[in-house]
Amino acid sequence: MFTRCFAVLTFAACLASAADGLDPKALLKPPTDTWPTYNGDYSGRRYSTLSQIDQSNVNHLTIAWVAQVRSVAIKSTALEVNGILYFTTPDNVFAVDARTGRNVWHYQRESQGDHIGQRGVAMYKDWLYFETPDCHLVSLNAKDGKLRWDVEMADPKLGYFATVAPLVVKDHILAGVSGDVTDIPGFLDSRDPETGKLQWRWYSQPKPGEPGSETWPKNTDAILHGGGMTWVTGTYDPELNLIYWGTGNPNPVISGAGREGDNLYTCSIVALDPDTGKLKWAFQPSPHDTHDWDAAQTPVLFDDTQNGAHRKLLAQGSRNGYFFVLDRTTGENIVTKPFISTNWSTGIDKRGEPRPKKEKEGTPDGVLVSPSSNGATNWMAPSYDPDTGLFYLHERRSWSMFYMTAEGKPEGWAGRDRGLWENSVLEGLDTKTGEIKWQHEMGDGENTAGILTTAGHLLFTSDNNENLLALDPATGKTLWHVNLGGRMVAPPTTFELDGKQYLLTPVQNVIFAWKLP
Amino acid sequence: MYRVIALGLLAAVSAGAQQNKRPDPAVVERGRSQFKSSCGFCHGDDATGNRAPDLVRSATVLHDTNGDQITPVIRNGKPDLGMPGFPSLTQAQISDIVIFLHNQAEEALHSNGVPRDYPQKKLLTGNADAGKAYFNGAGGCAKCHSATGDLAGVAKRYSPLDLQQRMVYPSGRGAPRVTATVTTADGQKMEGRVVSDDEFDVSITGPDGAYHSWPKSAVKVELHDPLAAHRELFTKYTDADIHNLYAYLATLK
Repeated sequence: MFTRCFAVLTFAACLASAADGLDPKALLKPPTDTWPTYNGDYSGRRYSTLSQIDQSNVNHLTIAWVAQVRSVAIKSTALEVNGILYFTTPDNVFAVDARTGRNVWHYQRESQGDHIGQRGVAMYKDWLYFETPDCHLVSLNAKDGKLRWDVEMADPKLGYFATVAPLVVKDHILAGVSGDVTDIPGFLDSRDPETGKLQWRWYSQPKPGEPGSETWPKNTDAILHGGGMTWVTGTYDPELNLIYWGTGNPNPVISGAGREGDNLYTCSIVALDPDTGKLKWAFQPSPHDTHDWDAAQTPVLFDDTQNGAHRKLLAQGSRNGYFFVLDRTTGENIVTKPFISTNWSTGIDKRGEPRPKKEKEGTPDGVLVSPSSNGATNWMAPSYDPDTGLFYLHERRSWSMFYMTAEGKPEGWAGRDRGLWENSVLEGLDTKTGEIKWQHEMGDGENTAGILTTAGHLLFTSDNNENLLALDPATGKTLWHVNLGGRMVAPPTTFELDGKQYLLTPVQNVIFAWKLP
Repeated sequence: MYRVIALGLLAAVSAGAQQNKRPDPAVVERGRSQFKSSCGFCHGDDATGNRAPDLVRSATVLHDTNGDQITPVIRNGKPDLGMPGFPSLTQAQISDIVIFLHNQAEEALHSNGVPRDYPQKKLLTGNADAGKAYFNGAGGCAKCHSATGDLAGVAKRYSPLDLQQRMVYPSGRGAPRVTATVTTADGQKMEGRVVSDDEFDVSITGPDGAYHSWPKSAVKVELHDPLAAHRELFTKYTDADIHNLYAYLATLK
C-alpha cells in the first residue's frame, strides 16, 4: 500500500515538474515557442517554421532589449524555455527573462582547464546540464540555478576539458569532451539525468583487436593515445533511434609518423545507438588527418526524394574543405564535393572519402597547404532550409605553412602551421549535387558566426565586419543589415513569445533581441 | 582542434603542476643526464617510453607537485610491474629528474606552435641557384622585387621563420597594404590606405591623413592590392619552389 501510494505520488510530482520544465518530447518537433536544445531540434538544421518576420518586414525589425553580461564573449546558443533564456560562457550559466533581458539568476563555478569556449546547456524537465573547463558535468535547477550534482567526466590533469552543449535523448544526457594538446583518447558519455552516473561510454578508438583497430599500427600504444574529441553537439533520428556525432582529429596532431593508417574513428561521422553506445556505422571525412581538421561539425539531418525514392540523409560541411551527403540509415556516401580549393588530397576513394597526400604532411622545412589548421569551416553552426533544399555554410579560403617540429618521438601537437592568408564566404550548397548555388563574400579573415534560416524566407548571420545580415536564402542577396559593433561568435536563434517572433543575436558579451514593432 | 589557443590558456590546461615558471636549463640538463643513466634504459632517454611506459603522458607525472608523486615511485619502484626502486639516488638527484620530467611534459604540451627561434638549418633544404632562377623566371618575383633593391639584406631583417613566411605571404609590420581610389558622384577622386571595406561602406585614410568614409552606393571604388600576385602563387608553387626560393633569399644578407 505504502509502495503504491509512493509510486502514485512520485508520478504526480513528475507530471507537475514536466509541465513546468521541458518535456524531452518537445525536442522531437521543429521549435516555435521554444528553443529547447543546442540546435533548436534534433535535426541540426537550425531552421525555424516561424514566419512572422519575413522578407517584406525584416527591415522594420527593432531592438526589443539588450542584455549585457560581465564575461568573455558569448559563444553559446541560448535555450529558450517557458520565457526564460539559458546561456553560458566558460564557468558561467545565465538565466535571463526572454521578455526583458533582465537577469533571473547567474551560476558561477570557477575552474582550472581550458576556457576557450562554452556552447550552451541542455535541459531535461526542470534540470540544466552544463560542462566545465575542468571536464565536469554539472546539473542545476533551472528555477534558481542551484547546484544539484557535479560529476567529473575525465581527469583535467591529463589535458581533458569540456566546451560542448550536451544533448538530451530520452533518458540520456549525451556529453562530449575536448582536449587535443595531450595525447588522450576522445569519448562520448551517456549519463543518467537524475544522478549523472555513467550509462555508457563510447571511445573514438576501437579496442585493440576490434574492427577498425587495423587502421592503427600494431605493437604500439598509438591507438590508446589517439585523440578524437567529441566537442560539437550531435544530432538524433528518433525513427532510426540513432545519434550522429562528429569526432575530432587524431593525436599527435601534426605528425602521423607514429600512427600509420586511417586512424578510425577519428575525424569521423559516427552513428551510435543512444541506448547502448553501440556503433552502427562510421564514415571518415579525413582519413589519417595530420592538419587538425576534425570532422566534429554538425551532422545535419534532412530527407528528400530522388527518382521517386524517399531518402533519409545527413550532410556535413567538413573542416577539411569537403561537403558530404550520406544515407543516414547505412552511412553510404552519396555526395563528396570540395567547397573551397584545397591541395591536400590525391582524390576520392570508392567509399567517398578523400585520400590524403603524404607530401602535404607537415615537415621541418614547411609545406604549403590549403586550408589552414583552422579549417575551411569550423564549429560555426550551419543551416539547412527545407524550402530551398540548400545547405548553408560559412567557409574560409585559407593557406598555411605546416611544420613538423618534434625531434625524437612526436607527442602532443608535434608542430603547427603558420597562417598566411584567409578570407571568408557564405555558400548555399545544393544537397543533391554539392554544387555551389550562390556565394556571399564575408570579408577578410575568419568568419565565426553561425547561421539561422526561417520560414519567413530569411537567413540570418553576420559578416567579418560586424554587420548583422538578413539574406534571401534562395539567392544570397542582402535584404537588411545593421552594424552591431562587435563580432558574432555564436549562432542567431529565434522563438515566439506572447505572439511575437523574437530574433536573438549574441555579439561578444552582449545579446541583442529583435522583434517587429 | 580549436583554432586559437593562446599560450596563456595553455598554461591553465593543468597537465603538470610546475608549469608557471620555466625551469633552469642547467637543472633540466642535469636531470636529463641523471634520468638517462638511471631510467633511460627502460623508459627511453627522452622519457617517451621503451620497454617501460612513456612518462611524458604519465598520469603520475601530470599529477605530481614538486616530486610528491614521482619521488616515492623512484625510491620504492613498482615491484608488481617489475620496476626496481632506486634508494641510492640522493634527494637532489631525484629532484633534478622530477624537473626534467616536468620539462618533457611541458614541451609536449607546448608543441602546438613553431618556436620563434626556429633554426635556419631546418628550413634551408632548397637549392639557392634554383631559387634565384625561379625568382627571375617562373615565379615572376622580379616583376616587383629586386635582390639589390627592396630585398637587399632581407635575410638580416627577419628571423629565418619570419623570412620564409613573409616570402610566401607578407603580413604584419611593414607589409604592403591595400589602397583604394574612391570616385564620388561629382567626379572627385581620393586615394588612400583602406581602413575598412565591406558590402555597404568603404573608408580610407586620405592624403590629408584624415579618415574618410562613404556608402558604397554613392561612390565608385577601385582597389589596389599589392599582394594579389602572392596569392596567385599559392596554387602555382610547389614546396620545392618555396624551399629553393627561401634558400636564395637567405643569401641576401
